[in-house]
Amino acid sequence: MEKILELGERYYNAFIAESRYLAYLEGIRNTLIISLFAVLLGALIGVLVAVVKYCAKENGNPVLKVLDKICGLYVTIIRATPVYLQIFIIANLIFTARDMELYAAITCFGINSGAYVSEIIRAGIESIDKGQFEAGQSLGLGHGTIMKSIILPQAIKNILPALGNEFITLIKETAVAGAIAVTDVTKAAQYIGSRTWDVLPPLFIAAGIYLVIVLGLTKLLNIFERRLAASDHH
Amino acid sequence: MITTKNLCKSFEGTQVLKGISETIEKGEKVVVIGPSGSGKSTFLRCLNLLETPTSGEIWFEGKNITDPKCDIQRIRQKMGMVFQQFNLFPHMTVLQNITFAPVKLGIMKQEEAEEKARELLKRIGLPDKEDAYPAQLSGGQKQRIAIVRSLAMNPDVMLFDEPTSALDPEMVGEVLQLMKELADDGMTMVVVTHEMGFAKEVATRVMFIDEGIVKEQAPPDEFFAHPKDPRLKEFLSKVL
Repeated sequence: MEKILELGERYYNAFIAESRYLAYLEGIRNTLIISLFAVLLGALIGVLVAVVKYCAKENGNPVLKVLDKICGLYVTIIRATPVYLQIFIIANLIFTARDMELYAAITCFGINSGAYVSEIIRAGIESIDKGQFEAGQSLGLGHGTIMKSIILPQAIKNILPALGNEFITLIKETAVAGAIAVTDVTKAAQYIGSRTWDVLPPLFIAAGIYLVIVLGLTKLLNIFERRLAASDHH
Repeated sequence: MITTKNLCKSFEGTQVLKGISETIEKGEKVVVIGPSGSGKSTFLRCLNLLETPTSGEIWFEGKNITDPKCDIQRIRQKMGMVFQQFNLFPHMTVLQNITFAPVKLGIMKQEEAEEKARELLKRIGLPDKEDAYPAQLSGGQKQRIAIVRSLAMNPDVMLFDEPTSALDPEMVGEVLQLMKELADDGMTMVVVTHEMGFAKEVATRVMFIDEGIVKEQAPPDEFFAHPKDPRLKEFLSKVL
């Protein structure tokens, strides 16, 4: 009984005392803001890079070839260096002004995620039968329309599980943002732990928060996947 | 309507078409036959530039479409194509498959295109399938809808690339029947096929392509009754 009471007090101190839950709320807010905008930025970069790479393969245009090389270099560098390093570089290279940490984090995770998303989308585009492109061409449709309305919708449906995985990874990776003094969920937990001299309870609370966010996202993705699968029903 | 001048096509050093010069007139139904690997599908796919010829010219309705300045997308709107693998868009309903291109290209308004699509679906006996997805259809139904999708663009010529080769035998008939109806309506057609019965019945001219050249061509009666080229004789003895 005494043990349980003691445990209760520890968690009371870690969560409720001195309105500490507000710190978690701020952490959740920042983690969600970083994740959301980084996912959007990453998806945008990912689609652009994937389409450039696909088009360069189909078409000998010299401008496309140069763009393709640049995209290739980008993917290689991002995938070969740790995100922990990338965030320091971006924070010190671009966002040197004070109070720009959140923007630095969004940019860093967006650029980082874009490299991985582009590879996923490229694989998705290549999984679509060439006949789909030819059917669009034979109807007189332009490359852009074929890509946007025929190839990408099918490709994205095929890669949704892989994309979901990438987004989940991204949310957890944002914990690195603490390195440049952004108060995300992890940083908030560390901060509270150092205040109460009791490190573990806030860490467990933070773990629970990530779990809830990720489970919620998984649920959303499942609903989305089911809706996209409407054309599969026999 | 379509003229090819010394049309050549190579794939990574292998010459598939070795100079084909042919003219297809309005209203003709040209059936192209030949052994596999002979270049007959490549010839057909060059006609709307799905394959870019290595050399030679293709003229369509008075325009040189192999000229880089030619707006090939506009030309393709007038050349319908039907594929062996149907290539319907699996994420769109039957109605969307048919109306997407004409609406997107500004040829028809949405309501107009839907009306035309329903009319065409009724004609092929599938009026109840407009909200179905391709995965819910049989092979024969898919191919007939693929034909209708091309027809919705009001093409001047229809190109068929082995349209029945991927079908179960019992579904071949319904597709050939629709193609025959199209021919009777006066559509200009170029058909690559292995269906000799269709060639005999519908073609105005049968063309035998082998080793990248046209070895023999004639109206079907003469073509099948009195083949001259030894390679064609051998081919016909195997397939008839």
